[in-house]
Amino acid sequence: MSEQSPPNVEDGALVARARAGDQLAFEELVRLYADRLHAVVRRLVDDPHEAEEVTQEAFLRAWRGIATFKGDSQFFTWLYRIGVNESNRRMSRRRAPAVSLDERLVEPADTRPGPPRRLEQDDLRHAFERAVQRLQPDQRAPLVLRDIEGLSTTQAAAILEVGEAAFKSRLHRARLAVRDAVRDYLPEDSEL
Amino acid sequence: MIRAILLHPLRFHRDHRFTRTQASAYLDGELGADDRGRIDSHTHMCPPCARFVAGLRRTVSALGQLRNTETPHVRVSDGVLDRLREERHIDGGGAPPPV
Repeated sequence: MSEQSPPNVEDGALVARARAGDQLAFEELVRLYADRLHAVVRRLVDDPHEAEEVTQEAFLRAWRGIATFKGDSQFFTWLYRIGVNESNRRMSRRRAPAVSLDERLVEPADTRPGPPRRLEQDDLRHAFERAVQRLQPDQRAPLVLRDIEGLSTTQAAAILEVGEAAFKSRLHRARLAVRDAVRDYLPEDSEL
Repeated sequence: MIRAILLHPLRFHRDHRFTRTQASAYLDGELGADDRGRIDSHTHMCPPCARFVAGLRRTVSALGQLRNTETPHVRVSDGVLDRLREERHIDGGGAPPPV
């Protein structure tokens, strides 16, 4: 899996200027990170329009708080943390019903007589998307950051403010839940 | 596999459990050489664990392919910039207010 290398080389100068109140520098940071933050948030809140709102809110909070950003972490880590926290806040307000990890997350394979079902790429993608969507929040965020967005374990754990050991444990359980959910689409796993 | 269980039953079961719990770290290249070798050896003699690791590898690989598959219907940055400018207009512009 390829890991993302956030364009943090230029961040330092832009962040310093933004901290001093330079609006154009902050707007440049928006252009650098808006799409990527939105991609993460979209998978955490499930609703495209709400994802846009959360992304906007995250940047507004970042702008309001940029003076307090000490630079102990990378800017994008700090920004993503704001976005993830805002996503979690909205999701907990929505009080989505919890889903047991043991629950099968996709429809079972078609067992009707006839020729074997031809697995289309879109079917597989859809199955994975739904499996991710049905994960518990504490497992979904690690998986989205690490496996889908390609951040390193260190970066993703820092965003979620958890230790790396705890992060790895959540990630492993999330992967197993997804694998179980798409098992019917991966017949080689049938004897697991 | 049966031979391995009969010869070293405790070690086999320990390695079996280790493989099941550390497979993600193994796939992410986050294990040391000894632990990696332990899983390599075990999966070589334990077909269920070999399938377990292979299935997890396929899962992780497929998840990586979900990245950037959907283009937002508007440029996200445009919406963010509009909100920012709106807020600055209300606040009178300038440096961000204290949090």
